[in-house]
Amino acid sequence: MKLGGIAHLLEYDLRNFFRYKWWIAGMISMNLADLIVMAVVYTNMISPTVAGKYLSYFLFFSPGITITALFAAAFMIGREINREFRRSLSHYLLSLPFSRRELAFGRVLSGGVRGMVYMAPLLATTTFVTWFFTEKLPSPLEMLLVVFALFLVSIGTSGLSITIALSTKSFEKFVTARGVIYYVLFFCSSVFYPLDFIRQLGRDGTLPQPLVFIAEINPLSSGADITRSFLLGYPSFSPLMLLNVALFAAIFVLTATFAYLKIVQE
Amino acid sequence: MFLHYKFVLILRALWFLAQIALFGLIVNRMVKEEVQVVTGGNYFYFYAAGIVVTLLYSMTVFIGYDIYEEADHGVTEYLLSLPVSRRELVLGRAIGGGLRSFLYVAPLMFVVLLLIGITDPFRILIALTALFLFAFGVAGMSITLAMSIKSHDRFDILLGVLNAFIVRLSTTMYPVAFMPPQYAAMAQFNPLTFAADIFRWGAGLEAVLLTSPFVSVFGIVVFFSVFTFLGIVFYEKRLEGGGWR
Repeated sequence: MKLGGIAHLLEYDLRNFFRYKWWIAGMISMNLADLIVMAVVYTNMISPTVAGKYLSYFLFFSPGITITALFAAAFMIGREINREFRRSLSHYLLSLPFSRRELAFGRVLSGGVRGMVYMAPLLATTTFVTWFFTEKLPSPLEMLLVVFALFLVSIGTSGLSITIALSTKSFEKFVTARGVIYYVLFFCSSVFYPLDFIRQLGRDGTLPQPLVFIAEINPLSSGADITRSFLLGYPSFSPLMLLNVALFAAIFVLTATFAYLKIVQE
Repeated sequence: MFLHYKFVLILRALWFLAQIALFGLIVNRMVKEEVQVVTGGNYFYFYAAGIVVTLLYSMTVFIGYDIYEEADHGVTEYLLSLPVSRRELVLGRAIGGGLRSFLYVAPLMFVVLLLIGITDPFRILIALTALFLFAFGVAGMSITLAMSIKSHDRFDILLGVLNAFIVRLSTTMYPVAFMPPQYAAMAQFNPLTFAADIFRWGAGLEAVLLTSPFVSVFGIVVFFSVFTFLGIVFYEKRLEGGGWR
């Protein structure tokens, strides 16, 4: 595999990403509204027994918004790949001087990088906000670990998105599948509510155990909690969190690469 | 025409279920006791009623996208050839836009009413009539925006931004008592607040109302009158000389 070819693909996909300036502007306004309105109001409403360990619900929720933004941006690549196959644009890509393996891996990587590019200003804002309220700043090594974990979530999401995009030629079916995945992964995770609390609801019988299990293995939960553990100091970092996002990334990068290779051969 | 969006309809229904069955139930257990008191003893009912209004709003704004589709596919010319005045055309579009989303949201609304418990059918009837006027007004607003912005992309983003803030700066998800004063001031004049209040009143959740039912109905009537009027003015203006192209 040549790095030059992959670098070209990265450039191609990044340029395409910035063509969606309206989508990006819409996403930014949605994230801002979540942070400056919704998080502020819920902070006044959430019980200190639930959010106390994170100082406030606002500080708990900020890393959650970063993760949702990363997920949505990294998922965009699937939409483009689905369109390329519907409109036979993939034939043009196959005519370029890259090996098929470079093409397949390059697309998965591009999706991950796009997620990181979009998420970077939000992570910087979250870091600033948590530092402002807690005076706690992660060390460079800790920050590197956060960025690495988020990159794994991003590339895994890109792989998941491409896998779904290649499993159907219908754009509507892709959008529906994307919606289902969004809702399950967002609402069944520690993005909006602490994992401890979800487990407690599971023990009480309020939340069915399968949903608790989904929240525990959800890569968005691990990504958000790794960020929280270094920015807020709670929950404490566990290597299992990193293993979880690494497994998610490995499974979907491989699946998407093989699915891409298979579909271009057909 | 609305059935063209069958996948959007499925997605919205799933979003509604996820909001109610996951987010609503979990957050209901996370809030302070004070919130339960302010929301009349059950934040979940308060939230479920608000989400119905949010869904009605987000389904109704879709009419604006139809206007762009029609302009792209030459359907506007066909509509203009029909034996109806332009005023009737825009009024019909606004009513149709409101009605179709109302019909779509009706089963989900019914589910929420069953959850909360129907106490007074007469009140529900008044609330549903007011919600229909609200949907009619939202359709007028969407048509006004679609007619005043030529670029589909710009319309899309404006609607996204508007959606993000209009929903969050209303009492659909949280009571005004917990909003910072600046947000609470904006929420008081938000049409979604009026709609959420009247629906909650209809469902018997009086304890949580920000405005009286009369004020809510008045607010909704003003909202729909203003946007229907603006919709007619902009639609007529844009149709003149093929301005939609």
